[in-house]
Amino acid sequence: MTAINRPGPGKGPLPGTGGDLAACLRLVARGDADAFDAVYDLVVPSVFGIVRRVVRDPAQSEEVTQEVLLEVWRNASTFDPGRGSATAWVMMLAHRRAIDRVRSVQKESERERRAAAADVPFDEVAEAVESSLERERVRRCLRSLTGLQRESVTLAYYGGYTYDQVASLLGVPPGTVKTRMRDALIRLRDCLGVTS
Amino acid sequence: MDAISAPDRARFERHLAGCAECAREITSLREATARLAAAAAVPPPPALKARVMAAAAATRQRPPAAEPEAAARGWRARGWRAGTWRPRTWPGRRGRLALAAGALATAAVAAAAVVFGLSNGSMHDQLTRAQASSQQVAAVLTARDATMMTGAVKGGGTVTIVMSHARRELVFTAADLHALPGARGYQLWLIGPAGDRAVSMLPPGRHGMTGPVIAAGLRPGDHLALTAAPPGGTPYPAGPMMLDVVL
Repeated sequence: MTAINRPGPGKGPLPGTGGDLAACLRLVARGDADAFDAVYDLVVPSVFGIVRRVVRDPAQSEEVTQEVLLEVWRNASTFDPGRGSATAWVMMLAHRRAIDRVRSVQKESERERRAAAADVPFDEVAEAVESSLERERVRRCLRSLTGLQRESVTLAYYGGYTYDQVASLLGVPPGTVKTRMRDALIRLRDCLGVTS
Repeated sequence: MDAISAPDRARFERHLAGCAECAREITSLREATARLAAAAAVPPPPALKARVMAAAAATRQRPPAAEPEAAARGWRARGWRAGTWRPRTWPGRRGRLALAAGALATAAVAAAAVVFGLSNGSMHDQLTRAQASSQQVAAVLTARDATMMTGAVKGGGTVTIVMSHARRELVFTAADLHALPGARGYQLWLIGPAGDRAVSMLPPGRHGMTGPVIAAGLRPGDHLALTAAPPGGTPYPAGPMMLDVVL
């Protein structure tokens, strides 16, 4: 399948590849291995990145990343462009599987210890990643949030905690966390210029 | 963000189904959320790609959706690929799957109760509670090869075990365990040819019910055992066995 417009190696995984990714997924749904190869290249840095953020353990992160990619391969036909972008679909699968993994495998005590290290995870994220425009943008937008908003979002998304766990970690009522998280996501959406 | 618990999610999805405005907002927020993953992007080890490609080549794809009942298809799909594969798509479908999982778990418990001649209400309640407590528990209870066993604890109390050899996991619950003297508690063990492994100290009982506790990594020839242990447990099973169940 030569019609696929593959990104160059220096190009970030997101954005601007959303259209390509959706096109690739349609081909993957028909069993096109070349298209799947392209999908892998497009999504794997973000998938592995978020999985590793949530799961932490490198070996398990590779396992989960493989599960996510296989899920993409297997369920490509169920991707519905009417319900969101291909990128959002894949990242949701990735995040969900990562969270499933930590919630099922990790003992509470380990999670609690991890919480102590989860202080300002987005800075840590930023350190670990090579410079990219998208990362800078997300980082700038994260910085525009209030402290509680940012902590709620980072603990829930990168830490894989539930609302209730975030609330107890931050020492605020669960209702407050839900409100802050929603406010934070709306602000992020507007800051990032998400249109769909 | 997947930060809501299963019952909340089910309620939430019922609400979403009737609220187009909310659904639009959720979609846009989900897009924003996906961008958070980009901020964490980091290349995986290069060797991963070959593994993924090889695994994909050996994995059957799901046919395009034509049937309206996605949940049923999901379950069939799960059936033919026994193991850890759990088909997932969008949350709506996932929600129905989760509900189906819950229903199935309850059905499995009820069926097991019939098969094993258990009319004991508390045991049933206990397992129903167990299945609600976590996906992992539900996964064991709904495993195709799930089997249920009960045993009596020396000194009082009964235990109920639901085990899946395929998952190499079991769910342990206990009813009416007697309080142990001093600060001692019950420690759960897997004991067998592969070595003795401490599973965990049992959490304190609530209303006479203890658990559920998951024991993973079952090996052939394992026994499940309980000992009375000082707080924090012992590194090796010590003292008399309060329970010994051949798995």
